[in-house]
Amino acid sequence: MDKKNLLIVDDDPAILRLLSTNLKARGYEVITATNGEESLEAVQRDFVDLIILDLMMPKVDGVEVVRRIREWSNVPIIILSARGDENDKVKCLELGADDYLTKPFGIAELMARIKTAFRHRGDPTAAPAQSSFACDGLEINFAKRRVTVNGNEITLTPTEYSLLQHLAVNSDKVLTHSMLLQSVWGSEYSSEKEYLRVFVGRLRRKLEPDPKNPKYIQTIPGVGYFIATDVP
Amino acid sequence: MKAKESVLVVDDDLDFLNIISRILKGKGYEVETAPSGGDAFLRLKELFYNAVIVDISLPDVNGTKLLSGILEIHPEIIAIMLTGHSSVQNAVESLNRGAFAYLEKPLDPDNLLSVISRGLEKQRLVLENRQLVEELERHNRITNILLNVSQAVSQSLDLQEIIDSALDTVARSTGLEANFIYLGENDHLRLKGHHGLSKRLVQSMPKEISKNSGVIGRIFGEAGSEIIEELVRDTQTDLNFLINGGYHSFAGVPLTILGESIGVLGVATSFARYFSSNNVELLTGIGREIAIAVRNAQLYEDASSAKALRELDSMRTEFLANVSHELRTPLAVIKGCANSLLQSDVIFDDQTRRDFLVSIDKDADTLTRLVDDLLMMSRLEANALEVKRKPHKLADVIYATKDRLDKLTARHHLRIDIPDSLPPVSIDDGRIREVLTNLVDNAVKFSEDNTTITIEVHTNGKKEVILSVADEGVGIPSEQQLKIFERFFQGNGRKTGRRKGTGLGLAICRGIIEAHGGRIWVESEPAKGTRFSFSLPVD
Repeated sequence: MDKKNLLIVDDDPAILRLLSTNLKARGYEVITATNGEESLEAVQRDFVDLIILDLMMPKVDGVEVVRRIREWSNVPIIILSARGDENDKVKCLELGADDYLTKPFGIAELMARIKTAFRHRGDPTAAPAQSSFACDGLEINFAKRRVTVNGNEITLTPTEYSLLQHLAVNSDKVLTHSMLLQSVWGSEYSSEKEYLRVFVGRLRRKLEPDPKNPKYIQTIPGVGYFIATDVP
Repeated sequence: MKAKESVLVVDDDLDFLNIISRILKGKGYEVETAPSGGDAFLRLKELFYNAVIVDISLPDVNGTKLLSGILEIHPEIIAIMLTGHSSVQNAVESLNRGAFAYLEKPLDPDNLLSVISRGLEKQRLVLENRQLVEELERHNRITNILLNVSQAVSQSLDLQEIIDSALDTVARSTGLEANFIYLGENDHLRLKGHHGLSKRLVQSMPKEISKNSGVIGRIFGEAGSEIIEELVRDTQTDLNFLINGGYHSFAGVPLTILGESIGVLGVATSFARYFSSNNVELLTGIGREIAIAVRNAQLYEDASSAKALRELDSMRTEFLANVSHELRTPLAVIKGCANSLLQSDVIFDDQTRRDFLVSIDKDADTLTRLVDDLLMMSRLEANALEVKRKPHKLADVIYATKDRLDKLTARHHLRIDIPDSLPPVSIDDGRIREVLTNLVDNAVKFSEDNTTITIEVHTNGKKEVILSVADEGVGIPSEQQLKIFERFFQGNGRKTGRRKGTGLGLAICRGIIEAHGGRIWVESEPAKGTRFSFSLPVD
C-alpha cells in the first residue's frame, strides 16, 4: 500500500517536530508548513492525503485555510488547536473541517482520529451490498461514491459522504445520535453531538432544495435522524 | 383700590389755594398746597405728585425757573402754569420748557378739571408704556441669560466642565458675586463647583450635606426655591460660611428635571434683601437648563462607563482565552513528547528519545516563564511589587545582560550606545534587566532579520536617565500606541514562527518602571520602526 502523505501546519516548531517524528514512525510521509500561506502552497504543490492544521497562525490563520481549501478540495482536515472553545470547534466544522482535537492531546487519540478520517475516504471494498440508492431526485451510486440531486453531481467531503451513505443504507430507520457517531466516526466520538448537528447541516446545504425544510434527511429532535423514502 | 392721584398747588394767594383745593378734592384728587416756590420745591423733593399747578408769578422765585426745577426732579409730572394777562409771554415759554398747559386767571373750574384730567390721562399712558417697555426689557434680559446658560452648558458632555461653565455664566450674566452647585449622590448632596468664593471660604464650605438637613437639603428635598433676605449666624448652619465671607442675602433654587431634584444652585450677594421673586424665577429657569445638561452628562458618563466595562470584560475573556492557549501550547509539547515515549506500538531510537526530553525541558521553562508573568501581573494589580533599590551604573546593568541580549538578537544587529559619564541611578537591577530584555525581545519579534536594534542611553537635564530600545520593524499604528501598555493588549505584525505572548509584557514593564518613579513611552511610525523609552530618576 502506498504511504499516505500528511501535511502538518503549525507555527510552533516543537509541535511540528513532535508530530513528524510520531507520524513517520507509524509509516506516514510528512510535509510541514509553519503558516497558512505555506500550507496553501503545499496543498496545491504536493499530493496531500490529510491535513493536520493549527488555528492561530500568522498571516493566513487556520480558519481561513479551511475555507480556502474547501473551495476546491475535499482532503480531510483535522484541526489541532490550543483553543478549546466550543464556538471555535463548531465554526471550523461548519466551514468544512472533518475533526477537531484540542491541545494538549494524546498520541494514540490523534492516530485514531487520523484513521477515522481515512476510513471516511472509503475503501471500495467497504461499499454496501446494494449498488445504489434513489429517493425523489437524490441518487447515490455506492460503487462510484457518486451523489446526484436531479441529475446534478454533488461534491461531498469523505466524512459527509460516510454520513449520507450510512443514512441511505439504513433508510426509513431512525438512527440515534450515538449510533450515527459510533458507526460513522468511531466509538471514541459517541459524545460529540455537535459533530452530527454540523455535518447534517453541511449535507442539507449541499443536497436539499430548501435546507430549512429538508425533504431527504429528517430530524427527530433529541433522538436522531433518518432518510424517508416514501416522500409524499 | 387704586391710589388717589395727587396734585400740588403752588400759589401765594391763600384764598385761591383754598378754593382750588376744595374743587379738586371734590373730584377725588389728593391735594396739597404750597404758598411759595421754596416750600413747593421742598415737598417735591420728598414726594411724588402726579400734577403740579404753579402760579407763574410767585414772590420768591420765577415761575418758569421753578418749572424747570420741578421737571428735573419729576420728568413725568403734569405741570399746569397759571398766568395773569400780563404774563402770557412767560406762559408760552413755560410750554416750551415742558409744561403741559397754561391757564389764565381767573380760572374756569371746569376748564381746570378738564385740563388736569387730560394731563393725567396722558401721564397714565406714558407710565404704562414705560412699564411695558421695562417688562419687555426684563423678559429680553431673562431670555438672553437663559440662552447664555443653555449655550454654555451644552458645549460639553463633561460633567465638571458643564458645572464650571454654568457657574461662570450665571455670575457674568446676573452680576451675582458668589454661586455654587451641589448635586445629589446616593443619600447626600456633594459640592460640585463654586464661583467667586475665596479659597478660605471654599475650605470652610460643607463638601457633603445630608439630603434632609439645612437650607440646601430643604431646597433639594422640597424641589422649591428659597430666599434668605438677611443671613443670620447659626440659624442656617450650612450657610454660615457665606456670613463669614460678608455675604448678606442668599437665594437657592433646585436643579430639576420633570419635577425631580438632582441638585441645588445657590447664589449670594453682599447686599441685604437683594432677591425678589423675579430673580428667583430667572434662577429657577437657569436651574432647569443646568439640570438638563447635568443629566445628559451623567447619562453619557453611565453609557461610556458601561461601554468601558464591556470592553474590559471582553478583554478579560480574551485574556483568559489567550492564557489558556499559551498554557496549552507548551503543555501540548510536554504531554505529546512524554506520551510518545509511553506508546507501546513504536520504539524510538536514543537520539529521538533525547530530542523528546529536550523539548519537554524547554517547554517546561516556557511554562514557568508564563506562570511568572501571570504572578508578576497579579502582584502589580495588587500594588504588591517589591523593588529593592540600590545605586547602580546603568551601563553595568546593561552589560551584565549582554549575553542574553546577544542571544535574543542573534539574527539582528545589536547596537549599544552609552555615554561615558552617566549619573548613577537607584534601581532594582534585576527588574530593570527584565524590562530591557522584554523590550529587546519585542523589537526582535516585530522586526525582520538583519535589521538593526539600538539600545541608547542619555540623561535629561541631570534629573533623569533615559534608556531607549529602537527597531526598524513594522511599527505601531498611532491608534494602538496608547493601548499597548494596557494589560492583555496584543499587537499585530508578529513575525512568522513567533508565539503569541500573554499580552502582559509591556504592562509588566510599565509596572516596574512606575514602581521606580519613572515613565515609559513609545514613539513609532508604521513601516519605519518603533522606539520604546523609559526614564529613571537620578538620586
